[in-house]
Amino acid sequence: MLLFEAVYARYGNGAHTLSNVCLEIPRGQFCVLLGTSGAGKSTLLRTVNGLVMPSGGRVSIEGEQLGRRTLPRIRRRVSMIHQSFNLVPRLSVEDNILSGALAVQPFWRVMLGVSPQPLRAKAASLALRMGLDAGQFARRAANLSGGQQQRVGIARAFLLDPDIVLADEPVASLDPRTSEQTLALLREAARERAVTVLCSLHQIDLAREFADRVVGLRSGKVVYDGPPSDLDEAAVEHIYGEVQER
Amino acid sequence: MNKAQDNSAPAQAASAPSPCPWPLKPVISRTSILWMALALLLLGWTGWNVEMPAMLRLSAEGLADAAGIREQSQVGSGFRGMVEKLFPPAISVRTPLERLPGLDRDNLPAFSYIDSKKESFDVRINYDTLEQHISVHREEELIEPYGYLLFVVRKMWESLEIGIWGTLLAVMLSAPLAFFSARNYSPHWAVYAAARSTVAFCRTIPELVSALFFVLAYGFGPMAGVLALGFHCTGFLGKFYAEDIENAERGPQEALFALGAGRLRVLRVAVLPQVLPQYIAYTLYILDRNIRMATIIGIVGAGGIGQELKGRWDLFHYSHVCTIMIVLFITIILLDMASARIRRNIIR
Repeated sequence: MLLFEAVYARYGNGAHTLSNVCLEIPRGQFCVLLGTSGAGKSTLLRTVNGLVMPSGGRVSIEGEQLGRRTLPRIRRRVSMIHQSFNLVPRLSVEDNILSGALAVQPFWRVMLGVSPQPLRAKAASLALRMGLDAGQFARRAANLSGGQQQRVGIARAFLLDPDIVLADEPVASLDPRTSEQTLALLREAARERAVTVLCSLHQIDLAREFADRVVGLRSGKVVYDGPPSDLDEAAVEHIYGEVQER
Repeated sequence: MNKAQDNSAPAQAASAPSPCPWPLKPVISRTSILWMALALLLLGWTGWNVEMPAMLRLSAEGLADAAGIREQSQVGSGFRGMVEKLFPPAISVRTPLERLPGLDRDNLPAFSYIDSKKESFDVRINYDTLEQHISVHREEELIEPYGYLLFVVRKMWESLEIGIWGTLLAVMLSAPLAFFSARNYSPHWAVYAAARSTVAFCRTIPELVSALFFVLAYGFGPMAGVLALGFHCTGFLGKFYAEDIENAERGPQEALFALGAGRLRVLRVAVLPQVLPQYIAYTLYILDRNIRMATIIGIVGAGGIGQELKGRWDLFHYSHVCTIMIVLFITIILLDMASARIRRNIIR
């Protein structure tokens, strides 16, 4: 269970990006965060793996509170999928997926770039699961299309069988069809392994289609929390604010 | 005529200068003219200090001399004298047999032969009888027709080796220094400052100067050359490597930090593959430059062909100097071609 208890976070200038966020996300849930740019979606995701340290409140995973001391251990159980994929362009797809295990491999293996056979096999089967073939597996990440790159990003996130996957606008730079495929792959992979997914999105229709639960953020506050079936026009307007005509 | 005017009228209206909504900054202002005048004054002053007018006068005289307009010129006679002394280049080595006591006459070195044509007459007068004794002295010499050329090529090879090992030393020293002097990887600001200043210090001291010190400490020979080149180029490679680490794309690094990986691991997996082509380019450039510098650095006694060059120059053996310069020239041309080809093939 992922638990946010009265979490606050602020920018360098002191303005709050999150204020009093309280959420309880049970294991295996696909939870989508909605909200305008700057509403605090990314910040909320980043408090889970310590890329942003909350200025108040506590974040805990299965009862273990996130802090400087527990951070290294927690980061191995929480993985992240990024909007701009954040793959290493000149490395092969295989090496990019294997980099998901960077923190737990022996140091010499990392330095020599030699991964054990079972791990390579696992990376290959994950790539296959994500719909990549052997040819793409050996290619440089830079030579893949955006959709394929994000599949690699998902495979990397799942390599170490995490408890939680954070997805920061994973389909923001993909076309609608590819977005749908990518999110479907993400949801299936998460369901198979009972992985909690916390995913920020901009597309309301995608949220309705894939989410088990939708959390709406506005100016750092939770303004909507419920199943996607309850996400009607009024709720959307409440999350995004009224459309102002100029 | 009239029609044409009619046509041009609206076009003119369209392209008529529109009134400027705000005052524009002038391209040439009073201050820029002032700065330009100052720069010219400074150039004039410094040019006078480094004797540029005299250089121009001497060069003009030299050109006039070359064209046959003038009888003589300082530059012309200087160059003519030099060329006369330089050519022909020395290729062979003649060694008197007396200086080769262990030589086996039946088993001479390859391509060499013994020349005994050179005779010297020794006239002695017996002061008691006043008789003249003429003794014919036959001096034999071992001639190695390509001996000096081979020797120079061997020395050139030594310079190449000095250049290669100087570069290796620089790479090995600058890799850790780059890690500590990259702002986003250095563990502490004090370490960062120390690494940065070490790199800058290495860059500041010219290798000819550091080679002098290394010759004092390690003696004449290639060791001093390798050390001097290594330390000087650490100053360059350390800076270049560190800057590339700092400028590497942050996204992949952040992704791997988020997975709990430490700095060195992230550096290896997310930074090194990205900067490697540039690193290879820098290192090849430094190798190229080090091989050229290794030929010069011997002048202060740090081994290689430069040491031979300096020795021959000091002994006024200009024909030997000429051979050395030809070998140097050919080597550097070949090196240029090789490094251009390597760069094309490796860096994609």
